[in-house]
Order: sequence, then C-alpha cells, then structure tokens
Amino acid sequence: MARMEQIVKLAARYALLIVVLLWTLGPVVWMISLSLKPPTEWYSPNIIPEKPILDNYINLFISTVPIGGTYFMTSIAEAITRPFINSLIIASISTILAVSIGFLAAYGVSRYKAGGTFTIFFTLLTRMIPGATFVAPLMVYYATLRFLDTYQALILLYTAVTLTYAIWILKGFIDEIPPEWEEAALLEGAHPWTIVTQVTIPLIKGGIAASALFIFILNWTEFLFALVISVTQVITLPVQISMYASAVGRMYGSQAALGLIATIPMVIIGYVIQKHLITGFTFGRVR
Amino acid sequence: MRMALRKIAEWSRSPKKFGRLLMLPLNIVQNFVLIIPFGIMIFLSFTTWHPLAGVEWWQAPISGISSFAKAFSDARFHWALIRTVIFVAGVVPIEFLLGLGITLLFLGEFRGKKIFTSIVLYPMMVPLVVVGLSFFLMFQDYGPVNLILLKMIFGEEKMISWFLDPTLAFLTIMLADIWQWTPLMFLIIYSGLVAVPARLIEAAKVLGASPMQILRRIQLPLIKPILTIALIIRGLEAFKVFDTVFIMTGAGGPGTATETISAYIYKLAILYNNLSYAAAVSLILLLALALVTRVAIRPIVVKPE
Amino acid sequence: MAKLVVKNLRKVFGDFEAVKDVSFEVNERETICLLGPSGCGKTTTLRMIAGLETPTSGHIYIDDVLVNDVPPQKRGIGLVFQDYAVFPHMSVFENLAFGLKVRKTPKQEITAKVDEIARLLGLGDLLYKSVKGLGLSEIQRVAIGRSVILDPKILLLDEPLSNVDAKVRERMRSELKRIQKEIDIATVYVTHDQLEAMTLGDRIAVMKDGLIEQMAKPDEIYASPHTLFVAEFIGSPSMNLFECELIDREGRVVLDAKDFTIDVTDFAETIKDTATSPELVVGIRPEDIPLNIKKVSPKAIRGEVQLIESLGASSIYHLKVGQKSLLARGFLEVKVGNKVWIMFDMDKLHLFDEKTKVAIW
Repeated sequence: MARMEQIVKLAARYALLIVVLLWTLGPVVWMISLSLKPPTEWYSPNIIPEKPILDNYINLFISTVPIGGTYFMTSIAEAITRPFINSLIIASISTILAVSIGFLAAYGVSRYKAGGTFTIFFTLLTRMIPGATFVAPLMVYYATLRFLDTYQALILLYTAVTLTYAIWILKGFIDEIPPEWEEAALLEGAHPWTIVTQVTIPLIKGGIAASALFIFILNWTEFLFALVISVTQVITLPVQISMYASAVGRMYGSQAALGLIATIPMVIIGYVIQKHLITGFTFGRVR
Repeated sequence: MRMALRKIAEWSRSPKKFGRLLMLPLNIVQNFVLIIPFGIMIFLSFTTWHPLAGVEWWQAPISGISSFAKAFSDARFHWALIRTVIFVAGVVPIEFLLGLGITLLFLGEFRGKKIFTSIVLYPMMVPLVVVGLSFFLMFQDYGPVNLILLKMIFGEEKMISWFLDPTLAFLTIMLADIWQWTPLMFLIIYSGLVAVPARLIEAAKVLGASPMQILRRIQLPLIKPILTIALIIRGLEAFKVFDTVFIMTGAGGPGTATETISAYIYKLAILYNNLSYAAAVSLILLLALALVTRVAIRPIVVKPE
Repeated sequence: MAKLVVKNLRKVFGDFEAVKDVSFEVNERETICLLGPSGCGKTTTLRMIAGLETPTSGHIYIDDVLVNDVPPQKRGIGLVFQDYAVFPHMSVFENLAFGLKVRKTPKQEITAKVDEIARLLGLGDLLYKSVKGLGLSEIQRVAIGRSVILDPKILLLDEPLSNVDAKVRERMRSELKRIQKEIDIATVYVTHDQLEAMTLGDRIAVMKDGLIEQMAKPDEIYASPHTLFVAEFIGSPSMNLFECELIDREGRVVLDAKDFTIDVTDFAETIKDTATSPELVVGIRPEDIPLNIKKVSPKAIRGEVQLIESLGASSIYHLKVGQKSLLARGFLEVKVGNKVWIMFDMDKLHLFDEKTKVAIW
C-alpha cells in the first residue's frame, strides 16, 4: 500500500517538474526555433522548423544587405559588431573600476569603520533609486560636459552605480578573514597598504573574481542609461537589440538569433558564479 | 615624485588616515557622478526650462514650486505611480508563492535534481533586454502563445492582440518579470530552508510532527528574516521596472496602459524634453521613496545587522 | 515483561559494523546507561531504539510489541538530543507544548499539562520567555520536559551532558538525578563519562566495538569487572594493570610480575582451571592498595614515591616499584622520594586472562 503511494507521489513530482521545465524553457525554445526558421515560417506555430536554416545567424555577421529599410540600420553585421565592441569596452573598464574602488571602500568600511552609517545608508539608497529619476539631470549634466554619446560617460556612470554591489559583496568576503592575521602583520611593522596587497587580496581572490563577473554582467546588460546617453557612437548591445524590437521590419528570425547570441555569454558567466552569488547575497546580508 | 609618494605612505600609516584614504576614490566617484547630477536635479526642479528654448540651463528662469504644484495635479503621474505599485503588489507575492511551490517540489532527493535545478535557475541569467525581446516575440499575433498555448487550452487558435489591449499588455509585463525572477525566490527560500539545522527537524519528527507541520511551525518561521529581506529587495527592484516595458510595449503602450513610473519619467525627459518637470517629478519620487524606507523598511532591515 | 527489550541488534553502515550484537532489557522505572568510548555503537543503538535508524538485523520490543517497522513518533519514546535541539524561535511554553499541539490536543489540556511539567522541572517562571536567552541547564530541562509531557513509555537521552563545561556538568548531573527520581520512567542513557553512568544508572552496559562487554549494577561493575576493558574503563584513576606469569616456584604458586611476586598458592586450583595460559594480567585499583610507612607484614612490597597529587581529602601517590609504576590512593604523611610499603589484598585483586581478556578472579 505504501509502495503504491510512493510511486504516485514520485510520478506527481516529476510531472510537476516537467511543467516547471516547460515554463522555464518555453521562451528559450521558441527563440531557438525562430532563429532557425526561414522567413516563411516565422508566423507559423510549429516549433520545429520544416526547413531549418542558419541564414538568420549568418546574416547577423556577414550580410551587407539592408534589412528592414529603416533609417538607422544599414546592415545587421555592421550593426552588431560596433555595439558589441562598445559593450565590451564599457563593461570591462567599468567593472575593473568598480571592483577596484569598491574593494578599497569595502576594506575601509570593514576594517576601519570608515564612512560611518551615512555611507551604508547612501549605498543602500543607490540601490533603491529608479534609474529613470536621474535621466533628466544626467542629460543636462553630460550635455554640458560634452559627455553625451561618449565612452567615459557610460563608464563613469556604470562604475558609480555598480559600486554599491561591489562594496556589499566584497565587504562580505573581507569580513570573513580573521582580523588577527592582518593585525599580526601590522605588529611586525608592515604598512597597512602592504597588508592589503599581500595578505587580504590573495585570500579573497575568488570573491573578487566572483564580484567582478557579477558586475560585468550588470554592466553588459544595462539598458536605461545606455539608451539615454548613447546616440550613435556608443550604442551598446542591449540598446541595439531593443532597436530591433521596435524596428519596422519584423525580422523575427534575426531578432531571435541576436537575442540568443547575446544571452549565451551571460548565461555561461551566470552559471560560473552561481555559488558565489548565493553566499554573497543572502547570507552575507542577513548576517 | 618618489619623495611625495613616500611622504604619503608614511602619513597614511595611522589607521584613521589610512581608512580615509581608502574611501577617497569612492567619494570622488560618487560626488562627481551622482551628487552633482542630484544637485542639478534639485535646481532644475525649481525652474522651467526647455532645451530648445535657446537658453543654457543654468540661466533657466526660476519658477519656484510651480513644477511641484503641477505634479500634484498631474493625473498621469499619479496613475504611473499607481500602476507601478499594482505591478509590484502583483508580481512579488506571485513570485514568492511560486518560488515556495518550486522549493517544496525540490525538497528531498531525486534523480536529476542537479540538472533540474540548473535549468530552473536559467531565467535569472538572461539579460533583461533579451527577456523583453523573447516575450515580445512570443506574444505576437502569430506567436506561440496564441497559436500553441491557447490552442491547447481552448481548443482553437485565438488571435489575441496582447499588446493592444491595456490589461493584457500589463499582464505580459508581469509575466515577463515573474518568469525571470521566480527562480531567485526559489533560490533564496530553498537555501534558507536547507540551512535549518537537521537536528531541529529530527526533534520535531520524533515529537510526532508531520512534514507539513514541520514546514509550517519550524522551518518557515526560522527563515522569516531571510524571506523578509528577499521580499523587500525584490519589491524595490520591481518598482524600477523599465527595460521590459520599453521593449515589449514601447515604454507604456497601448496608450499609457503599461506606463510605469520609470517609463513616465523617461518619456518626460527624452520624448517631451520637459527636463525641469522631469526633474521635479523625479525629486518627488525620491523623497517619497526615502520616506517609505525610513519609516517602513529601515526598522525591519537594520535590526538583524 | 520488561518495558524495552532489545534482541541481537546489528547495524552496518557500508563496510562498517557499528553495532555487532546487542541485547538487553530495560524494566519500568529503571535507568540503563550505555557507557563506552566514542565509536562503540552506543548512540547508534539508541537511535535504533528511537526509530531514527533501521537495524540491519535484530528486534526491538516496546511493551511487548515489535516496533522495528514503527516510525519514531508512534513508538511512545521520548528523545533528548545531545545538543537539546529546542526550537529557538519559540517560548518555553511553546516548546513544551509542541508535541501536544501537533497531536491536536485541546487547548485546556495543553495548558494543564504544560503547567504540570513546568512545575516538576522548575520552569514555571520561564514559561513565556523565549528559549534563546536561557542557560544550559534550563534548556536541558525544556528538552526533557518537551519529551516527557507526551507520557512516553521510554525516555532516551543521548549524551546530554557532553557539551557542557566540567563545573556546570556536576550541577546538571545532580539535577538530572533529581528529575530522574521525579519522572520515574524506563530510561536509556547514553554517555562516555563513567562518573555519569555510575551516578545515574541502575544498571550499566559497558560497550566496546559494537558489543556489550558487561551489563550489571554499578557496584558490580566496579567490584567485579568481567573484562580487561571494563576494568580499565571504570574507576578514576584507572585500575593498575600489570602483566604477570603464573609459575610454580619452590612448591608455591606465584604470580611473577618481575618486579614483585604475589603468592597465590591457596587459590592456585581455581586460577589454573579457568586460565587458558599462564600469561595473566593483574589488576588492582589505586583505592584498594593499603599503604604504610613501615613494613608491617613480610608480604609487603617496597615502593618509592615519585609524585603526589593532592586532592584534599586524599591523595594519589605515583609509586615506583622496581621498574613498574603504580598509582595508589590514600592519606599518608609522606614526601616525594620517601619509601612506602604496599600490600596486595587478594580480595581486591583482579586477574585477567591475557589472551581472552576475561576476568578469572
């Protein structure tokens, strides 16, 4: 009798799991399907393309045929190489800056209680503020500085915004190190800075890497500010993708292909830092 | 140069000074990038200025609190706020409940658990814009939702124009957020649950508690602090929703049916170029948020510190 | 019939045989102590009785009912864990009431029972306080109360005092003894501390490597240890043990321990009958060695004081007899370096077969 119950329970569990799976993977599957379909099939409900093609992908990279016929897209190939590189430059530099500055600040807050409660409150605030509230003043500010549509604008902005995360996460890691280790070095006459470079950093290398990757993802996928500040020169990948969605020509296949290509690196990084994310966010904070 | 560096090095040995030195870069960046624009925002909100009026912004005519007054009677502003609150109130509880449900599903061991877990967590890692894009593609007139899903449920193809109906469009935005963030809730709840000491569960079991009772009386109460923080954080993030709204409904469509507060301010600044009013509205919003945090959330968040 | 009957219990974890063959009975109102070093299988045995582990083979009967397949909550047992595992987010009242609440007992009954138990255990004032701020001894009482309130047939305790400071442990031990008397249920108490076992147990089962070496009343375990292990384990300081050989010498039968000999001619018959070989181990407890400053008997053996541990009422003398070291407990006015005379009392002497490790005297 109990056996029967067990089997039914197991079956129910797996059934539900499959439902969850379908829900989770549904959008992905459709994107993949679309990206492999020829234009004729874009409006049909079949998941598996009858005549799968790779053109959607190829077109992204090598085509010079104007698509959609809108004003600001000459060819998709041109259209994504530049934004891709832009995203790469901006995200990388911002990440490096954010992690570096964030590390220094995190260390200061953790070990030296520098900054006081205001800093903590302020950093919490920066997380809360909707980005949109800064759009108006930023436009004005950057216009005056002639920063509009420049790399430095976005880099500085991203750095400032992701600093909060950097400090949060890195502080968690720094707190884990017993202060005695550093005090011992201090007592031996080492300069505080040497301690940081020789003792602390090597110990939390993993944490630094994890937070760097996490912030990189944030920077890479940032949308609102990139949208507002870039005009033609520094269009980032997310902005470019959004332009497809609102473009006149409904190039579903290519849109899907582009979306997938943009997703894959992020997903990979995401899985890599999965473990660190959990500890950094939930437990580090609640403790 | 060397002398200067060495002097700095010696000077910074004392803990206080070193600490301050460490915070310096942060302060510079924050001031330059955030505080100044904030100041500009305050200034602008007291002016009426249009970029095309031919005047530089710092010479804009001061109009006192007229912008603020306008905001108080601005129905569109109010509605944007209300919509955003409805969005948050709808999305967060659903994500919590679904996350809890999935956690229950994942309790205990079973074959393929690791793989299932990885897959379930997948949506969190998809870039927001791509989520927007995916859902945009899916809810198209000739998209899979209409052609496949509804066909299965209702037995026939229903051609619903999701993005043209105000309620339905709002629904799609909510669905996109739920799809992406339920895994986060699941992750937090599950990690918290698993962290409950096994001893306590054994003790409860020996005393006669059923699994349901153990869940309700022992496990959930013990993870309440984590849950509270998760809900608050998710709530704050949900409030800011913009990317998906922009891509899926063109920042608010149809009409203003999905115009969240972020979308509204965006439009004010970029579309209508009404920068001073945008600044005013932004300021009001910020003050409101700061108040809410101070009053409602701070006591809950700061206590576990 | 006995309240709890354990028959031929065996438990294997992978390749490791944690419990080899354990059998014993516990009567109503009796407290049995499972005593032994870590890894001897006592906790595993307890968990099998509780129902948290399934025996690889063997039977468990509670109140004459076979309970091997019965889940823990239906066996009528109360279990107190090593770290007490009280629910940190609940008050004392809620902790005590938990088992009853879970069984949907009516509110009035719950309140009545909790009050009763609280009074019994001295928790009355703390009822509405959160468990978090309480001291260890109070938490222990909550842990016990929470199990006892359900009127279990048997109470099981898993090393409840191991995590406690030595000083506090003494006090809590006396408290446990008092509670034991009040509650008066069949109890199985697992510990590695022989002092606890000796004080709290009506009978003690000394365990080693998954087997019970001896099960008897504390006095008997102390006075007549069956095996070398039991002899060594019980008693503080431990029993003195020396290897010796049973030899026939000049018409007398003696135990030759190289540095001294003990004449056992009068008992030679019995010894030779039970011993498997002339290799034997002599055991004598430090408190059973009469000490004297003068040689009062021709049989007395001389020793030199190496070290004195003064314990106040008595002292432990580390003696050197020939090459051997001996511990003796007594009260003499001696200093280090002095000579003393010791005797071996045949009544208190223990003899063990070197090979079988079993007592033969």
